[in-house]
Amino acid sequence: MGSRVLIVDDSSMSRRIVRGILESAGHEVTEAADGMAALERYSLEKHDLVLLDMVMGGMYGIEVLQKLREIDGKARVIVATADVQHSTREMAEQAGSRGFVTKPIRKEELLSAVNSVLEERP
Amino acid sequence: MSSRILIVDDSSMSRRIVRGILESAGHEVTEAADGMAAMECYSLEKPDLVVLDMVMGGMYGIEVLEKLYEMDEHARVIVATADIQNSTREMAEQAGSRGFLTKPIKKEELLSLVKSVLEERPE
Amino acid sequence: MKALNARQTDALTELINIAFGLTAAKLCEISNYKIRLEPPVIAIHPTEALAAELGSFGTGEVASVHQVFGGPFSGNAVLLLNYESAVKLSNLFLEQHLRSQRLDSSTGEILAEVGNMLLSACLGVFGNLLQVRVTFSMARLHLDSLEEFTASISGGELLDAVAITTSFHIREQGIDGRIVIVMDASSLEQLTQAVDRWESSQSSAQV
Repeated sequence: MGSRVLIVDDSSMSRRIVRGILESAGHEVTEAADGMAALERYSLEKHDLVLLDMVMGGMYGIEVLQKLREIDGKARVIVATADVQHSTREMAEQAGSRGFVTKPIRKEELLSAVNSVLEERP
Repeated sequence: MSSRILIVDDSSMSRRIVRGILESAGHEVTEAADGMAAMECYSLEKPDLVVLDMVMGGMYGIEVLEKLYEMDEHARVIVATADIQNSTREMAEQAGSRGFLTKPIKKEELLSLVKSVLEERPE
Repeated sequence: MKALNARQTDALTELINIAFGLTAAKLCEISNYKIRLEPPVIAIHPTEALAAELGSFGTGEVASVHQVFGGPFSGNAVLLLNYESAVKLSNLFLEQHLRSQRLDSSTGEILAEVGNMLLSACLGVFGNLLQVRVTFSMARLHLDSLEEFTASISGGELLDAVAITTSFHIREQGIDGRIVIVMDASSLEQLTQAVDRWESSQSSAQV
């Protein structure tokens, strides 16, 4: 089951690794390197899923998450981050994320989070 | 079950915290602030258990660990350290530690590990 | 000194994010407060860059907990706070009646221990992810003027060195601090090689 996934991360290394994982599972991947680009792409393409980093220069991940949900109340977002604090996870959940993976990203963990979010009813 | 436990750590604050936890469970505690003092104390008192920090000035924790086992092959040593590296844990295990805790030390974790190590049959 | 290419800078930044992320979580665990972390700054030639970076500390004394580290790459890791934040941070761990307005032996001791835990955690992530062994010295507390601190950390031999800094905040308590990692050119080279290996292994492990 291939879906369209938008990867938002200011690290090109991260984007490259995640792209590799998602494409190996048959998903179609678009990339955005910052919050503004992410919001633009999402409003044009309405991806099935967004994979969002929490710590980026410019717009913080949490703001991007909030704005994505404003654009589209049904937006499905999984947060990926090096910030392993529980409070960050809670903040993301409260702002509407459907999943949370910590960096360094493990292939199985990511694919299983992606599958379970895509299978959820909108 | 109360036992005699030797705490080895160059940080007096760390020793104080661990002492508090162990005494609250009825254990009798002695302290050593470095490797040499630890070895002396151990050979005099043969405590039932040693809680050992890995990073200290002078003798490194791993040397103390090795020397304790040279002195007494039935020694029981638990490592309590701020060093989160897997390689440190493996090194400590290979040198004979019976448990490995990272700082900050959580009371329940320490007490339950102490209990299980004390209950083990000597090797 | 060999400069890092874009790919290396990116991978190093990623590594540092993970290390500082865990460090923030450790501080959260110790203090029971939410920690806000800024994106890290990697500056080559710390003599100018570091002084500029730290400019926001203002005048007055700074408290620094230093941990010298070694292994394939070596250097100095520092927990840095201005005097006020240092006292506030230590007081978080003291009962009301034991709190101090000064950095004395009891608050100083707490700061050194907190520094030890945070810096060991940060460097430990480097060790775990890069699959190398990092060794640490005892953590020591210093109280200096900002100039003395900057001079001590970027002394003569370290003119061509790298400083990696990040700021953290405990908003609820008005505490601001930095973690600063300084190493010389040859250590940076070793670190870069280890990061290259890590990056390749990450990319190839995912197919």
